[in-house]
Amino acid sequence: MEQGDAALTQRRWLGRLAARQRRLIGLSMGAGLFVGLATIVQMALLAGWLSALLVDDAAPKELVGLGVALIVVLALRAAAQWAQEVAGQEASLRIRQAARAELLAHIEALGPVRLGGRHSAALGGQLVEQVEALDGYFARFLPQLRLAVAIPALIAVLVLWLDWLAAIFLLLAAPMIPLFMALVGIGAERLNRQQFAAVSRLAGHFLDRVRGITTLQLFNRAEQASAEVHAAADDYRRLSMRTLRLAFLSSAVLEFFAAVAIAVLAIYTGFGLLGYIDYGPSSQLTLFSGLLILLLAPEFFQPLRTLSQHYHDRAAALGAADALVALLNVPLPKGGAERRPSDGESGVSLDGVSVTFAGRGRVLGPLDLRIAPGECVALAGPSGAGKSTLLQLIAGFVDSDTGRVVTPAGEIAWMDQRPLLIHGSLADNLRLAAPGASDAAIERALEQAGLGELLDALPAGIDTALGERGAGLSGGQAQRLALARVFLSGASLVLLDEPTASVDDDTQAALIEALRALTAAGRTLIIATHHPALMGMAGRVVRIEDGRRVDEVMS
Amino acid sequence: MSRPASVYRELRPWLKLLGRRRGRLALGALLMAITAFAGIGLLALSGWFITATALTGMLLAAGIAASLDVYVPGGGIRFFALTRTVARYLERIYNHDSVLRLLADLRGGMFRVLVRLDGQALSRRRASEWLNRLTADIDTLDSLYLRLLAPPLVALLAILGLALLIGVFLPLAGMVAGAMLLLLWALLTLGQAHLGMAASQRRVASLDRLRSRAIEHVQGLAELSAYTGLATHRRRLDEHQQALYADQRLLGRRAALGNALVGLGVGVTLLAVLWLASLAYARGVLSGPLVVMMPLAVLALAETLGLLPSAFTQLGATRAAARRLNALGAAQGAIAEPRQSVPLDSATPRLEFQAVSLRYPGALEPALEQVSLRLDAGQRLALLGASGAGKSSLAQLATRLIDPQAGRVTLDGEPLPGLSLRELRGRVGLLTQQGELFDDSLAANLRLGAPQASDPQLWQALAMVELDAWAEEAQGLATRVGEGGRQLSGGQARRLCLARLLLAEPRIVILDEPFAGLDAALAERIATRLDDWLAGRSLLLLCHHREGQPLAALGVGDWIWLASGRVLTAGSE
Repeated sequence: MEQGDAALTQRRWLGRLAARQRRLIGLSMGAGLFVGLATIVQMALLAGWLSALLVDDAAPKELVGLGVALIVVLALRAAAQWAQEVAGQEASLRIRQAARAELLAHIEALGPVRLGGRHSAALGGQLVEQVEALDGYFARFLPQLRLAVAIPALIAVLVLWLDWLAAIFLLLAAPMIPLFMALVGIGAERLNRQQFAAVSRLAGHFLDRVRGITTLQLFNRAEQASAEVHAAADDYRRLSMRTLRLAFLSSAVLEFFAAVAIAVLAIYTGFGLLGYIDYGPSSQLTLFSGLLILLLAPEFFQPLRTLSQHYHDRAAALGAADALVALLNVPLPKGGAERRPSDGESGVSLDGVSVTFAGRGRVLGPLDLRIAPGECVALAGPSGAGKSTLLQLIAGFVDSDTGRVVTPAGEIAWMDQRPLLIHGSLADNLRLAAPGASDAAIERALEQAGLGELLDALPAGIDTALGERGAGLSGGQAQRLALARVFLSGASLVLLDEPTASVDDDTQAALIEALRALTAAGRTLIIATHHPALMGMAGRVVRIEDGRRVDEVMS
Repeated sequence: MSRPASVYRELRPWLKLLGRRRGRLALGALLMAITAFAGIGLLALSGWFITATALTGMLLAAGIAASLDVYVPGGGIRFFALTRTVARYLERIYNHDSVLRLLADLRGGMFRVLVRLDGQALSRRRASEWLNRLTADIDTLDSLYLRLLAPPLVALLAILGLALLIGVFLPLAGMVAGAMLLLLWALLTLGQAHLGMAASQRRVASLDRLRSRAIEHVQGLAELSAYTGLATHRRRLDEHQQALYADQRLLGRRAALGNALVGLGVGVTLLAVLWLASLAYARGVLSGPLVVMMPLAVLALAETLGLLPSAFTQLGATRAAARRLNALGAAQGAIAEPRQSVPLDSATPRLEFQAVSLRYPGALEPALEQVSLRLDAGQRLALLGASGAGKSSLAQLATRLIDPQAGRVTLDGEPLPGLSLRELRGRVGLLTQQGELFDDSLAANLRLGAPQASDPQLWQALAMVELDAWAEEAQGLATRVGEGGRQLSGGQARRLCLARLLLAEPRIVILDEPFAGLDAALAERIATRLDDWLAGRSLLLLCHHREGQPLAALGVGDWIWLASGRVLTAGSE
């Protein structure tokens, strides 16, 4: 989907995401504009009331109509303000959902192998935190960006009509607006960068101490380490205050202009009303126009002040988008090989395949391999020879650059050294492989994988909850659980990558026994292994070195 | 009223922490209040001034002699304009400094709690998760003052000040404005907190769930795509996302409601004050400029009140963070220091496990079941068994990183909980499997074991584990080991940890797989040196097999086999 545009930039990505919710963002802006208009009307009604009362000597009863109008405007303004926020929020929710879906789709398309270099916990965190960090930008900053120009312009026009000299005071400040924005923006961005660096340094220090907590306990260093943590946080305070003093200055300048503009206008209008000023339109000033100008002066600067408050949202979104776009820019595989399903058979046939990884060159092939249905084949060879890559090619996680790959259609059973354990019950974990499996089938699969004894000891049986990442299971039990998945799934082709590498002897023996049972049941097994016993049970051992087949032994 | 009370109870420890910096925080709130009052003053005085000038101007135009002092109000307007800007700038600087000070207090305090936790609590989460949780929760709490305490207090002051200002000239209008604005204040704080409580309390937990699903999705990509389970798991992930966003949508709408209410409430109050002031003007008891001043002063309050709705809609998140951190703090009872510790007589006491049982929370099977064994003074014993057999649990029990659920561990017959932790951990030294190193110099890492050790002593310890030549080639004792010792190879890191333990000079030495990752010849050489050092000390050596271990060089004569948390067999050469 993002193929074609050579390198996606963060700004382009954010722009594309916003374009998909143009209507809601537009609605938010429209409502915001209405709030601005309603504010102007509200101020005009207020000034009109006061002018009628004080200048035209109207009785309070005659002002009821104005009061009703004021209430209506207040209610409409409140409704529009609500709509502005809600529309912005809805746009942000939908955009974040879409962004996460796009990232997940890209990750799925890349497959497990091309993601190999990335830490999965960090990547998972990115999918949550960094996508959430886009919120303020779409919900608040983007709608406000236009409003910060439109509403002051509207007010300037009105004031121009009321008193052009007063408008000039405002407009003198107007060319400053881009300057303010740049000032605020530069301040916020630098602040954000520096803060980020300081925060991660502080987090690093804290993490380092948390990781080593046992050691600190064992050497009786708890008190000293706590004091060090406090000292590091205090250092961080001193550092960031240096930046903050400067950064706050830029918004203080904005505040200053807003306050001074109100003061200048009040004094100008007052002197004009007293007749002290002979020049320009001030002789036409009335209480109404004077008051309205005064009331509108803060509103002239308000949208800009709001925008500057949301500026850190933009900085946060740009930072997050930077990392996410880097992920989206990882190119999708584009294998040159033909890949098709074998016709109803579980056999595998590879003709002239080769796999290259960026930076590592060719890791596999050219290679031909034919595996008949029901065969049990062991792939042997030194580590790094390409055994795992061969399995990944058959599983479809990587593509071949050349030749032809024929594998069974549909699901494949897969098991490696680090089985996936999800937060949920034992049954949930097994049903990953077969969503529709019955409880009885799950119990049988667990028994076949050698977990029958454990299951009997569990009062809640297959509904026993496992903690996050399988907390509560030992390494051997986790491996057997992955094996139970193989039994449960109907997949005829079973791929195993070093299934016995990190388990104790008992589990190893049980695994080998179970794999024998799978072969006996007519499934096709391909096992990458160093283990002599596993090679022993295979009907054929294919030796691979430097990505090529060097030897083959039939047993 | 049970609910506000329980919120208060949960936040109380943190409010107490804030109380320690009472003076600073009060000054910060004062600066905020000055900013608010200057804003009100600026608009109110400007309105008064314009009206006064307009009315005087009309009199002058009608040929009636009138005069107005323009310099005092003009100066007042300039004063308020400048005060507002300067006060806000100072307030932001000062309050951010306060918050960062609080952050340092919180971090230090939380670490103090963490470092007392037992192994069970610590093992439940990985370090990075601890960190995320802790930093996020602490960050949530450090906004307690800046978002939830100071703004409502300042708003309250501003409301009272405003009511007083209006009341001086027109008591009824002052009371009405005060009453209406207090009601608005209550709606914006208590009302919004109530509206957002449930959903905002769920926020962190929902995010955690979504994160763990996302991590599963990435980690399990191989299995999920092979078993064609991607779509199913994706649906689970989407469900969590829906739940999270349903809450966010609800909170956003309710916060928007509060924000809209600010404008509406202030507007209606303004209208009421305007009406009363107009009536008073018609009766001739109020001057024109004051009629204008009153509604304008009300209008200026919107900015102060505008800070409240979003902060209070999210009160539940702060509450949940406080509750989690409180729970963490409460867990520290697990490893408690004795009130009166018993001194040990012998230098090398006898270590004994008496029918100890241990089960980790959430584990499907017990880690230890009725294990009894004894390590006499000077004895060298190997504890053998597969991973998960319970060896490391015994080591943790001996150093009181964990306490057993049943049975007891004793030194010279004295149960461990009766000894001070300092004394116990000074006597019993443990080389853990993970061997934690800190991102610091070689010397700093070594001196964790013996803070007073001299440089020659450090070099001697390095020589024992054959790291001296390597260290000389690098930057000597100043060599940085990197984050978690990443600049070192696995074998070097193990040896450095061992050297650190040697420097601590424990009398009972427990080594968990000390030679893992070392080649046999090197292991043999180190073991031979250890043999001399061990004279007069006791040794508990933890390893998988007897094969490949330099047991003879270490002088280990006895061994015990463990399996599934039980003692299987014992023997000696």
